[in-house]
Amino acid sequence: MGKPKIKPEIKTEKVPALASKWNVVVLNDPINLTGYVVMVFMNVLRIPRPLARKYMLQVHEEGRATVWTGERERAEMLALELQQWHLNALLEKDG
Amino acid sequence: MAELRLTMTAEARNVLTDLLRLIAPAAARVSVNRAKIPDGDAEVASYWTDTLSSQAAEEARLLATAFANAKGEPAVILLKNDGQAFAFLRALSAVRIALRELVFADIPDAALEGAELLDDESLPTEKRHALACYSCFGLLQQSLIQQLDPEAFE
Repeated sequence: MGKPKIKPEIKTEKVPALASKWNVVVLNDPINLTGYVVMVFMNVLRIPRPLARKYMLQVHEEGRATVWTGERERAEMLALELQQWHLNALLEKDG
Repeated sequence: MAELRLTMTAEARNVLTDLLRLIAPAAARVSVNRAKIPDGDAEVASYWTDTLSSQAAEEARLLATAFANAKGEPAVILLKNDGQAFAFLRALSAVRIALRELVFADIPDAALEGAELLDDESLPTEKRHALACYSCFGLLQQSLIQQLDPEAFE
């Protein structure tokens, strides 16, 4: 009786390392007006009004909102720009 | 964008100008100190700090000049384009933050949002004066935003 033919299909391949993602988080502050925050989100994040308003309410009611997630360089740019508008923004590593 | 005209009484302009002389330089410092700057990369942190510092100084100058040049009754500040209007908005925000952190850090957030404090005679006059200016800068911001984006507060 012959041995069964096994075709293990072994192979090795390179898997690119997963780039870590970064969150841009905005914290609540009692100073900036709600309309100001909506306007800043729309201008800086280039997002439509309903989403900007949703983030503003989340910041106001929950104390913080993650307004953007992605690669570090862009996250840094956005966090800096939000700080230039005097929002309480910071960077956090995702996950 | 059409020019924007911010108008206020000459008395308001005088009071706000006096306060700005005191607070604007500090506002620049506060906005940089308050910022949460990532510290993992010295080069990035340095660029970040420099960017915030130079902008804050520029905003302080912009406000001081705008109020100093607003003559007459009513006093008028003209903002000629979006760039000027946005810079003015940011500068007002910086001043309000500085007032909050330097003059009435002891007042709870909830109390700050109401107008009752302005009539609270137990507070020192200087603090009530600063609170009145804080509210006034907020009203200027609100008025400006309503012109730039009428739906912003809806």
